[in-house]
Amino acid sequence: MSLVLDASGRDLRSVSTELKEAVAKGPVVMHGVVHLHGLVAGFQSGDVTIGGDSGDYLGVLNDGVTIRVTGNAGRYLADNMTRGTVIVEGDAGYGVGQYCYGGTIVVKGNAGDFAAVMNKGAVIIIEGSVGDEVATYMLAGDLVIVGDAGKNLGNYLIRGNIYVGGKWESLGHNTLLEEMTQADLDKLRGYFDEYSIKADAATFKKIVRLSEKPFYKAKEPIQLESPRM
Amino acid sequence: MPPVNGTFCVTVMKDRCINTRMPGKCATCVEVCPYDVFAIDGAGSVHVGNYNACVGCRICAEFCPEDAIRINPAESEFLVRSPWTFPQVEEIHYKAQTGEYMLRGFGTMGHAPSFDNITVVPSQIASPAPRDKYREECNLELVIGEDTCENPIRLPYPLLFAAMSFGAVSREARMALAIGAAQTGIISNTGEGGLLKDETWLIKGYENEERTLKRWEPGGHLVVQWSTGRWGVSANFVRAGDGVEIKIGQGAKPGMGGHLLGVKVTEEIAAVRGIPVGSDALSPCRYYDVQDLEDMKRTVAFLRDVTDYKVPILFKLGPSRPYEDVSACVEAGADAISIDGLVGGTGCSPAVVTQGVGIPTVALIPPAVQALKDMGVHRKVKLFVLGGMRSGLDAYKAMAMGADGVGFGAAAEIAMGCRACMACHTGRCPYGITSQDPELRARLDPEEAGQRLANFIKVTAEEIKMLTMLSGHDDIRDLSEEDLRAMDLNTAAITGLKLIGYERRLPWWENGRGA
Repeated sequence: MSLVLDASGRDLRSVSTELKEAVAKGPVVMHGVVHLHGLVAGFQSGDVTIGGDSGDYLGVLNDGVTIRVTGNAGRYLADNMTRGTVIVEGDAGYGVGQYCYGGTIVVKGNAGDFAAVMNKGAVIIIEGSVGDEVATYMLAGDLVIVGDAGKNLGNYLIRGNIYVGGKWESLGHNTLLEEMTQADLDKLRGYFDEYSIKADAATFKKIVRLSEKPFYKAKEPIQLESPRM
Repeated sequence: MPPVNGTFCVTVMKDRCINTRMPGKCATCVEVCPYDVFAIDGAGSVHVGNYNACVGCRICAEFCPEDAIRINPAESEFLVRSPWTFPQVEEIHYKAQTGEYMLRGFGTMGHAPSFDNITVVPSQIASPAPRDKYREECNLELVIGEDTCENPIRLPYPLLFAAMSFGAVSREARMALAIGAAQTGIISNTGEGGLLKDETWLIKGYENEERTLKRWEPGGHLVVQWSTGRWGVSANFVRAGDGVEIKIGQGAKPGMGGHLLGVKVTEEIAAVRGIPVGSDALSPCRYYDVQDLEDMKRTVAFLRDVTDYKVPILFKLGPSRPYEDVSACVEAGADAISIDGLVGGTGCSPAVVTQGVGIPTVALIPPAVQALKDMGVHRKVKLFVLGGMRSGLDAYKAMAMGADGVGFGAAAEIAMGCRACMACHTGRCPYGITSQDPELRARLDPEEAGQRLANFIKVTAEEIKMLTMLSGHDDIRDLSEEDLRAMDLNTAAITGLKLIGYERRLPWWENGRGA
């Protein structure tokens, strides 16, 4: 039996205070939260279902809670998440899963530009297509795009893997197309089974970093040739 | 990369040098110099091998058992050929040879308008009589977030340590800052490099993790930084602080993100930051998750929510458009704003940016204060001034111009032992402050450095108190522009202070604000 919390017309502080008490007791279903930005911020456990659409920064700093959104999510979904799961049935806006250290994000619809930027270890699965500049400066983790990607995919990639089922407009700096291994296929199939996604792992392409240190040029100390005193 | 930061003449006095008398016996200078200035030959004889490499840190002179080494600026013949000074010529050679721009640590070199041309006006008969520093009290307290949060930061002195990240500075330096803050009750700021576990109890004055042995009173305040790179940031990190600082920019490189060169990314730092060992950690220049002021307001709102509305939210600004930037921070919901000037310090930055970008600290204060006054929050939203603050005198001047407090970054490093050799970016700091090399780090004792920091802060506070009382006040909040005079036309023009002799503000300041 879930607790139902209607947030219509209420401010973040009062909703959040009530939510903190409610999640400790059991699963919570929330309604009317589209005007609230930064909801379910920094929770360490619990289960929250958002009926309808959500605002921006949903599940920011998430540290263990499971969030389901039945509608669409706003911008910066699960920003800076460290643990937990966020599942969106509809589309998600700009900047899904930026700065994440861990956890899982699943978007059943499409996602906007700048998703997975500086991702440092989260698993981010987008069942639809994504926009431009996705996975810029990604440092670790997996990004699975079942649909298509836009420009500059994986720009300045440091580590981590990008799997794309569809096409992309262009790849960013420091990216390399690599053969899928059996481990990759198993991993993808695992994700697809777990989140009931209909896709064929065998058709996916894998993008990894070209060089481990894209900014750093190792070089010998330089002896200047100007006259010595 | 060789730090071509200037040029120094290393002189070894042969009559004193042990090695000259007994080759093979003493080679302390060779051992301590991290830049290989001294060379040792097969017979064990030491000589100055590479003048160019000397950055002027004077560690060799400090360690020399016979006091036989002198470091002086290079011969004047090179310095008088302005603008083609020796460092300038070397810099062009470096660029021509390597095809790369210069990087530099520490901060700006050379002259920028400063507090030096401002003088303090003491009290005589026409104004309230001076107060007795030895026998009367003076209020130096400062509270951040008094009306907005449950646990405001209460500072005994209006001072703080500027943000210095773990990575830019060593573990020992971070610990020293925590101990220094614990002994004085002021703020230590994590910077963007994540949080060291030890810091959380050291800052409160405890010697051990269990918090049973309290050693340092009164215990300081830890401010955690929410920055553009978000290194090591989690909900627990945000909650670990007594305040959260949102970094917009910094004085040494406004408009750029943090630079941490690969040479300083050791295993420990790579683990905290989540990047490969030896790879450059270049933070983004802006927040990918903030596109406009509305987003910044939401960021403040969720940070308050994550910390249960208990701790203040601070902003850190680089020197750009102080009036507009400070107004925007107030609108976003700041409890305190630190504004960093051109002279602000850094662990690493492109030399042109450090040297040539931004507004000097002294010129930031009048527009920043005006912004707070126009928003009706002057003295409510606290204004801290950073960037080249050196002493109680600088602090007093900044506060009389309308700031609520000041921050020390470079001065704190110097208090720990640094000699301002401006080679922080090389990762070979001879004093172990901005180095990650275990051998160099061992030269910095956190407790001793913490004590030095505490001494420095206490003396600075004493200086502020002395100056406040001799100008007839018993509370730092009573200081005003009337307590200062500009000593030259330029300073009067940029600060709106009364000019000495003329005893009035310059005409375009007469309506109380700049043109």
